Amino acid sequence: MDPIRQNLPVLLDGLRLTIQYSIVAIILMVVIGLVAALMRLSTVAPLRWIATAYVEIFRSTPLLVQLFFIVLGLPAILPVNQWFGQLTYPILAAALTLSLNEGAYVTEIIRAGILGVDRGQKEAAQSIAMNGFQTMRYIVLPQAFKRMIPPLVNQAAQTIKDTSLLAPVGIAELVYKGEIVIAETFASFAIWGLIAALYFVLIFSLSKFASYLERRLQVDKR
Amino acid sequence: MINVKDLHKSFGENEILKGISTHVAEKEVVVVIGPSGSGKSTFLRCLNGLETATSGEIEIAGMVLTDPKTNIHMLRQHVGMVFQQFNLFRHLTILENVTIGPRKVKKVALAEANKVARELLAKVGLVGKEASYPDELSGGQQQRVAIARSLAMGPNVMLFDEPTSALDPEMVGEVLQVMKTLAIEGMTMVVVTHEMGFAREVGHRVIFMDDGLIVEEGVPKALFSDPQRDRTKSFLAKIL
Repeated sequence: MDPIRQNLPVLLDGLRLTIQYSIVAIILMVVIGLVAALMRLSTVAPLRWIATAYVEIFRSTPLLVQLFFIVLGLPAILPVNQWFGQLTYPILAAALTLSLNEGAYVTEIIRAGILGVDRGQKEAAQSIAMNGFQTMRYIVLPQAFKRMIPPLVNQAAQTIKDTSLLAPVGIAELVYKGEIVIAETFASFAIWGLIAALYFVLIFSLSKFASYLERRLQVDKR
Repeated sequence: MINVKDLHKSFGENEILKGISTHVAEKEVVVVIGPSGSGKSTFLRCLNGLETATSGEIEIAGMVLTDPKTNIHMLRQHVGMVFQQFNLFRHLTILENVTIGPRKVKKVALAEANKVARELLAKVGLVGKEASYPDELSGGQQQRVAIARSLAMGPNVMLFDEPTSALDPEMVGEVLQVMKTLAIEGMTMVVVTHEMGFAREVGHRVIFMDDGLIVEEGVPKALFSDPQRDRTKSFLAKIL
């Protein structure tokens, strides 16, 4: 029997889970990154400290270690499995840890994007009586966002690849399903090759979509 | 309209303004001149709170800017500002540049904001450019849009921070013409500029600043033809 054709439904189910975790993590990392970036640029010192500590901690430890620590380590000292459910906790914790890790990098992308907007833009907004929120929302962020697209797409591609680290902590996704299939069929070469191809298709279409998006913004808004 | 009492401004150890006191009456056009580094731009930026005064008092349109209880955003609705580098919002069309202040800050309805913006753009001679983006316009055109953007907020006072210094020579005239029209209509204006022709023709009073202080002030004709202080004389000798 052809191991690939026979096990394709299992692998596609893994791909579906990988896509789901990727979408959740990419949305959350942007939300977290935006909040943390605004905190890092805040005039309120404690907000800056919290955001800086968050970024440094998540950037300076390996994602795999973070996943083990939070998904498998935390239940050893806290009854989190009872709070959230034996099956739900690992999924929630893994998705959140991944989002927080990627969010740390997004924080720096968004912060750099905001700082890259000419100071005169902010002053002009202030001079027509806009408050801090209005200045950020209508003037600074729309301009910062455009220059943030390429690094954000990079980070999104990284996030998709990083979902593969959920497998070692026991979360079912593409790699996890692949390992199961290989254990049954011993078709390492074919299955790993297929898994790599699936990731490639996923990320390649993302970057194609992103360059389309970028071109459109370039044409519409100078 | 504007009352300034003993205004000091320091950046760290560096004292830029060393005690400025002056008064600008309603409908008066005051031109501020002086060498670079004299503090004239800093003085102007203090007047709408882009710089915070270190000490002293600024009162504009009945509101005390230097009082921490004053709502700075309320005050800025009454004080327009035009920058040397125009600072148009690059992601917005010309029409949106003019309407965004009234719409977001004053919550004016879109149709009304558009109507006022079109009138103002007509006034500064930019009919037909509504859908363009700032980068598609010349410097002179951009600066005229910036003036319209400020006027859209309905200010009582307009501040101009070297509005023609970044322009190619052939575009200076069109911006000065718009400013002259404003002055004739009775706008209260404080203008930092090197355009002595404008100062002489449009200004009601000229203030000469040097080293963070007002050295001399007076009606343009008298100040230009018969300066009293040596520093004024040597500055005017260099530029006239």
